[in-house]
Amino acid sequence: MNAASATRPALEVKGLSIKFGDFTAVDDVSFSVNRGEIFGFLGANGAGKTTTIRMLCGLLAPTSGSALVGGLGFEDGGLGIKKIVGYMSQKFTLYNDLTVGENLDFSAGLRKLEPAYAKKRREELFELIGFDRPLSVMASALPGGIKQELALASAMLHDPEILFLDEPTSGVAPASRARFWKLIRRIAGLGKTVIVTTHYMAEAEQCGRIALMRTGRIIALGSPDELKASAFPGPMAEIDFNGAAPAGTITALKEARGLLELSPHGMRWHAAFADPASRDAALSALPRSASVGSIKPSLEDVFIRLVEGAER
Amino acid sequence: MDLFSVKTSGLKKIFDRTTALDGVSFDFSAGLLHGLIGSDGAGKTTTLRLLAGLLKPSAGEISYYSGGKPAAFGELRPSLAYMPQQASLYPDLSVDEHLEFFRELYGLNAGSYARRSEELLQITRLGKFRERRAGLLSGGMYKKLGLMCALLRSPSILLLDEPTNGVDPISRREFWELLYGLAAEKTLIIVSTAYMDEAERCARVHLLDSGRLLASGEPRAVLKEAGAPSFEELFISKGVRL
Amino acid sequence: MNGFNIHRAYAIARKEVMHVLRDPFTLALALGLPVLLVTFFGYAMDFEVTDIKLAVSDGDNGPAARRLMDIFSSSGYFRLAATGPDTEPVSMLDSGRVSAALYIKPDFSKKVKGGDQVEAQFVLDGSDNSKAAAVMGYLPGIRRAAQTRLTGTAARDLLSIETRFLFNPELNSRWFTVPGLAAIIIGLLAILLTALTVAREWENGSMELLLSTPVRPLEIIAGKLVPYGILVLAGVFFVYLVSRLVFGVPFAGSHLLYLAACLLFITAALSQGLLISVLTRQQQVAMQLGMITGLLPSMLLSGFIFPVESMPAFFQYLTMLLPPRWFMAAARGIALKGAGLGELAVPFLALGSLSAGMLALALKKFKTDLE
Repeated sequence: MNAASATRPALEVKGLSIKFGDFTAVDDVSFSVNRGEIFGFLGANGAGKTTTIRMLCGLLAPTSGSALVGGLGFEDGGLGIKKIVGYMSQKFTLYNDLTVGENLDFSAGLRKLEPAYAKKRREELFELIGFDRPLSVMASALPGGIKQELALASAMLHDPEILFLDEPTSGVAPASRARFWKLIRRIAGLGKTVIVTTHYMAEAEQCGRIALMRTGRIIALGSPDELKASAFPGPMAEIDFNGAAPAGTITALKEARGLLELSPHGMRWHAAFADPASRDAALSALPRSASVGSIKPSLEDVFIRLVEGAER
Repeated sequence: MDLFSVKTSGLKKIFDRTTALDGVSFDFSAGLLHGLIGSDGAGKTTTLRLLAGLLKPSAGEISYYSGGKPAAFGELRPSLAYMPQQASLYPDLSVDEHLEFFRELYGLNAGSYARRSEELLQITRLGKFRERRAGLLSGGMYKKLGLMCALLRSPSILLLDEPTNGVDPISRREFWELLYGLAAEKTLIIVSTAYMDEAERCARVHLLDSGRLLASGEPRAVLKEAGAPSFEELFISKGVRL
Repeated sequence: MNGFNIHRAYAIARKEVMHVLRDPFTLALALGLPVLLVTFFGYAMDFEVTDIKLAVSDGDNGPAARRLMDIFSSSGYFRLAATGPDTEPVSMLDSGRVSAALYIKPDFSKKVKGGDQVEAQFVLDGSDNSKAAAVMGYLPGIRRAAQTRLTGTAARDLLSIETRFLFNPELNSRWFTVPGLAAIIIGLLAILLTALTVAREWENGSMELLLSTPVRPLEIIAGKLVPYGILVLAGVFFVYLVSRLVFGVPFAGSHLLYLAACLLFITAALSQGLLISVLTRQQQVAMQLGMITGLLPSMLLSGFIFPVESMPAFFQYLTMLLPPRWFMAAARGIALKGAGLGELAVPFLALGSLSAGMLALALKKFKTDLE
C-alpha cells in the first residue's frame, strides 16, 4: 500500500466526517485510492457508504476532514470535482418515459457537451458496453442489466477520470451482474478509477481493495485476500455431519483448542482454527460419518469476525 | 399438530403487460425451510403475495394441505403469517406498541401474549429496545421487529419476503438462527432472497428466474444435477439470456 | 373469524389516535383550521359595507343642506370626508379617497323651504360591484328619511314597500356565515384527514401487512373513521361555542337536530375522504383531490356565500348531489329559523341517503387484494 509512485493517488481522504444534527453518519474516514483501481465500500444499509460517496462527488459538504478528488478539493464548492467524476446513483438511473437517445442527449446537455463530441462519446461508449439497440427504444423497455449498463455509459459521457457507482447491480440477475463486472474491469483497464459500493459480500470479492464500513466507520481496509488472511490466519474447515450431529459433538468442538470461530452455515458448520495443528486435532475427534472439506473464509465471515472481535 | 403444505399448479400472474409468473408449479413440502431464490423481477414477491392471499392468480391453482389432506385457504388463514419486503411497520410507534397492536388484531389473550412476547423479545434481543420507535431502529432491528409481529401468534406457515436484504452480516446470521429455531418446530417457512449464498441455508430451494422455475429440490442435489459449482453459476448458465 | 370484530376495530382506532397525536401536521390541521376559519370569517371578513367615505360638494350651505348631510352621516353607513366649497368630489372619487360623492346645488335650502321639488346628486364609485350594490341598497332608506325630515311630511308615494329581513333583521353577516363554517370545517377537514390516512398506509407499505392479518375491511374503515369523526365534531363544537359566546349568534332550533345533521354530514365527508384514499393510494394525490372536492363544493356550491337559487340551472341540479348544500340548508334552518324535522325533511333525507351511498361505495371499493 506504499504507492509512492510519481502519479498522485486518484483519491486522498483524511478524517472525513459528516454529522446530521446529533447523528454521525460518517465518522473519521481515511483512505486513498490509486488510478485504475477498483475500490469497494462494503457494508449494510445505513453503514455510511452512500453518504461517503456523495461527499466525494461534491454533493454533500463534510462537517470535518478533507478529501482530494483527482487532486482537487472542495474550495470551489465541488464544481471542479463534478467535472472530473461520474456518478451512478442507487435510486435513479434513467428516465423511464424517455428513449435511450433522449436520456443520453439530456445527460450531454447537462454537461454542456458539444453535440459532435457527445455523439462521438456515445458511439465509443456503445461499443464499450456492447449496446446494439436503436436509440428510439424506451428506457422502460430495457431489461434491468442493460439499463444499468446504459446508466453507466450516461455517467461516462463527459469522460470522467473517476467513477462512483452506488450499488450498481442491486437486484440485477446474476448473469447480468457478471457482465457488468466484466465491464467495470474493462473500464479500469482503460485507466479509470472505479469506486463501488455494495452490500453483497460476494460481489465485493471482485474489487481490488475494499473498505468494510459499519456505523459510519471503516473497520477494515485491504484487498479481499489480505482481509481474510488477517482475520483468519489459520485454516477454515467445513463440516457436514450428514444428518443430525451426535449429542455433545458441537459442544466439544466449541471447546477445541485453537478454535477461533464456529458458526452454522445452512446444513453445515464452518470452523476456523488458529493453525493447522489445532484443526487436525479437532477434526480427528469428529465422528466418522462427518465429512470435512477445506474452505476459504468469505468476506461475510471476515465482517462478523471483525465486529464481534471488536466487541469482545 | 397437523403439518401444513402448499402446492401450486401452472400458477400465472399477469400485471397489465408484464407476466410476473409464467405457469409455475411449486411443491412446498410440510415442516421444512424453503428458499425462493432469484433476483429482482424474478417473481418472488408475487409468489409470496399469491400464497398469502393478497393477490388473485391470473391462471393456475394454489392448493393448501393440512396433514396431507386438502384444506381451504380460509381454514389456514389464521395460522398464516406474512412479512412483506418493504418497510411495513409504523415509524412513530414503539416496539411494544407494535406488539400490542398486533396482539389485538390477532385477538390473543393476555396470558399467552405475555409469554410469547417475552420469548420473542428475548430471542431477537430487542428486549432493551421496547420503548424505541420503529423509525429509529437500525435496519436489522427493524426486520426483527417485523418478524416478531409475524411470529406473535405462533403461525404454522411463515412467508418472509427478502427479510435479510441490505441487513448487516451479524443481524443476518442472527435472523437465520431464528429461522432455524422455527424450522425445528416444523413450521412451514418460505423465505425469498436475492442472496445466492442463502440458498445453501435452506432445506429445499426453488430457483426463480423471470417468472419461471429453473430448478427445485435439496440444495446440494440441485447443484449436482445442474453440474454447477454454485447457485450463481447455475443462474448464469440456465437463466434467461438478455 | 369472518364477522365484524369490535376488538380489532378498536385496535385500529387506538393506533390511529397514536398516529394523530404524533403527527404535527395532522394535529395542526385539525386544531388550527377551525380557529383560523372562525377568526377569518368572524372578524376579518365582513360582508356588510359600512364606513363609506362620502365627499360632499355643498353649494348651498343652508340648513336643509346641513340636515341632508346629517342624515347621511347618522345612518351609520356613511362617513363624511372633509368638505368645503373647494372640495372637488369627482377627483376624490377618481383618486379613490372617497367611494361616493354628494352634490348639493346652491338653491337647495331655498327650494325646500318653498316646498318645491328638489334634488341632490349622488355619485357612486361603481368599480366594486358588490360594494356598489350594497350602497345602492341604502339609498331608499336615506331618501325616505330625507323626505320626512326635510319636508316634515310623510312620503308622498301612496305605496311604500318596506323591506324587513326576517330571522336576521340587521342582516348581520356573521349570523349568516358562522353556522355555515361548520359546513366548511366538516367538508374540508373530514375529507382531508381521512384521505391522507389510508393513502399513507398504502404508501409506507403497512397496508400490505395489515391485509395479511385476519382484519376485515370494515374493521379498518370503522377504526380509521371514528377517531377522525370525533376530531371533526370537536372542531364543529368549538365553532359553535365561539359563535354563541363571542359573536353572540343566536341559536333558534334544536341542538339535537343540529347534532344529527352534523353527524350525517360527517359520515358523508369521511366516506368521501376514504373513497379518495382507497382509489388513489398516494398521499400527494389524495391531498390534492381532497382539497378540490372538499373545499370547492363546500365553499362555493353549498350556498355558503352564493345562494343556490341564484346559480345557473345546471349548478342548481348539480348541488343536489352535494352533501354540503343539504347540510347548509339544514344547519341554517335550525340555527336561524328554529326549523324542525318537518320543515327540513328534504335536506335530512338527501343528506342521509348521500351519506349511506358514499359509505357503501367506499366499502365496496376497498379491495382486500393488492391490485
